[in-house]
Amino acid sequence: MFKKILQSLSKSQQAKSQAPVPAKPSGPLPVAPVGASASSVTPKPNVLERVVIGTPQKDYPTTSSSKPRTPEELCELTPKMSKEQISARLKLLYRRFNRSASSLDPKIRAEAEKMLNAIVLVREKHFGEL
Amino acid sequence: MAEFVGIDLGTTLSGLAYLKSDGNPEIVPNADGERLTPSVVFFDTHEDVKLVGSAARDGGEPDRTVFQIKRHMDDPEYLVDIDGKKWTPSEVSALILAKLKRECSKIIGEINEVVITVPANFNELARKSTIAAAEMAGMKVKRLVNEPTAAAVYYAHNQGVQGRILVYDLGGGTLDTTILEVQGDNIRILTSEGARHLGGSNFDELLLDAYTEQYQKQTGAQLYSDERHRRRILQATEDAKKMLSKLQRVNDTVSNDQSNGIARIDLTRDGFEKMVRQMLTRTVMLVEQALDSAKLKPSDIDHVVLVGGSTRIPKVKQILEKLFNKTPKSCGNVDECVALGAALFAKKSARIQEVCNASYGTLAMIYNAKTGEEKLMNSIVIPKNTPIPCSRTQVYQTSEDNERVIEVDITQGEDDDPRYVDIIGRITLEVPPNRPKGCEIAVTFSYDENQRVRALVVDKQSGRSREVAVSYKGAGVLSDEELKKKSVSLRQMRIE
Repeated sequence: MFKKILQSLSKSQQAKSQAPVPAKPSGPLPVAPVGASASSVTPKPNVLERVVIGTPQKDYPTTSSSKPRTPEELCELTPKMSKEQISARLKLLYRRFNRSASSLDPKIRAEAEKMLNAIVLVREKHFGEL
Repeated sequence: MAEFVGIDLGTTLSGLAYLKSDGNPEIVPNADGERLTPSVVFFDTHEDVKLVGSAARDGGEPDRTVFQIKRHMDDPEYLVDIDGKKWTPSEVSALILAKLKRECSKIIGEINEVVITVPANFNELARKSTIAAAEMAGMKVKRLVNEPTAAAVYYAHNQGVQGRILVYDLGGGTLDTTILEVQGDNIRILTSEGARHLGGSNFDELLLDAYTEQYQKQTGAQLYSDERHRRRILQATEDAKKMLSKLQRVNDTVSNDQSNGIARIDLTRDGFEKMVRQMLTRTVMLVEQALDSAKLKPSDIDHVVLVGGSTRIPKVKQILEKLFNKTPKSCGNVDECVALGAALFAKKSARIQEVCNASYGTLAMIYNAKTGEEKLMNSIVIPKNTPIPCSRTQVYQTSEDNERVIEVDITQGEDDDPRYVDIIGRITLEVPPNRPKGCEIAVTFSYDENQRVRALVVDKQSGRSREVAVSYKGAGVLSDEELKKKSVSLRQMRIE
């Protein structure tokens, strides 16, 4: 049922630049610009010869408004979410950003820290403090 | 000659243990009479000597002192500049290992082969750098073993326990959580999860903020103006933190280096626990992640074992007791059990089944024929927690007609979303011309017992193939030739 077609990073970047509108990522929307914007994410020529943790393809969306986002907004929680849904969402985000917290890119690491702080605040609010 | 030797190359402390003839491990003290050696290196100005350990830690020149080098073992560009000479993290670590080898071998005999412990979430480069450090120090690495695994091996040996064990290892710089199963003499690792930059030194920094705030409030002045004084205050905060594990209230007096007066610092355990609460919540989330990865509930865990100096904090025990509804047990001296376990592991490694610490795969456009949906995803070939050594293959198709070069990115990470995985290498394979799209390409990843990964790409039609081990380049990564040269030079250095 599933066909797996090989795509390299460079190919996927080419495809992205040609595609009219990239699909909206299912992941969270981290807070602030990290690295390059989507239009300037061409990897450095030697980028794959080195350890690449947090490569430029992590085109996190930028914060559009000047108003700081709340921890709930950062975690993309909606008021209608049940406790189970919030818990599942926080687990997914924790796994994702705990990993990004080890990035060699200080910007990605800083963003991961912000997200981890937001995740903890949301957890404490909805599930109580330790 | 010492046959079974284990080394815990820690962020803040390092230790060496060996297996005695009665089968029990023992810590070997260094020449300063200390069972554990601070992982600190001081490069002296006047004499050509490298001080390692307490003397280095307590010295006064921060510009010539290297702390916590382990935190940089995975950074290919990180270098320490001393008098114009650039030291890689691996070389600095080699100085620590060389001191341990030289001084401990005077007590237990020649040390040639060792097991070295690493954090469970150490990546490929950090593991390779650790092996290189040992080689420069004149030791062959028999195996690398994850720190919580080593601690669990020691705990199981010491306590004679059976069943499922969760190890919570909160050290100076990192948190690791491992779940394993002990049956008789056999140990099976189920999962390991780690969090970088989450450990005792983070708590010290929070206490440093409290000291700074109280000092400023009382004197109106800054507590420190240079790194040397900041280090001294940081040492005081570490002492205060340790006291707060025993006492409810601690007082300290501090002054700055500008003669702005003395301030009395008041700290309470309650206040400290509030300070570190959010960090501890993160540690609980990591424990929950480990349980999820192993598809277990807290009630499925038979023993909760504490490892690492930061587990002396009473709140740590409380939160784990609440989560598991059982009292966590400490495996003896929480600072030494990793090295002791490593020595045991050196003998028992054949009976210990470890798992892959991360998922490895490639990027692929996944097309769902049923829904017509197509999405660029991280396609995992070896899932995390696969028993190692292992090898797995997945077959993919080419995307374009007349594709001459197949490029396969090697990804590390569990996320489906390519934005949240690391690309740690690429294989390029030339294939014959004039072929339609849809040709089959087999991608095989293999994972060895030292948690090192290799990738093989085979064009099934032409039979052409290419295999690579993930390799790294960067100013802080030594080539094989450089490694040999550095080994020779390090053997001639005065290290004390």
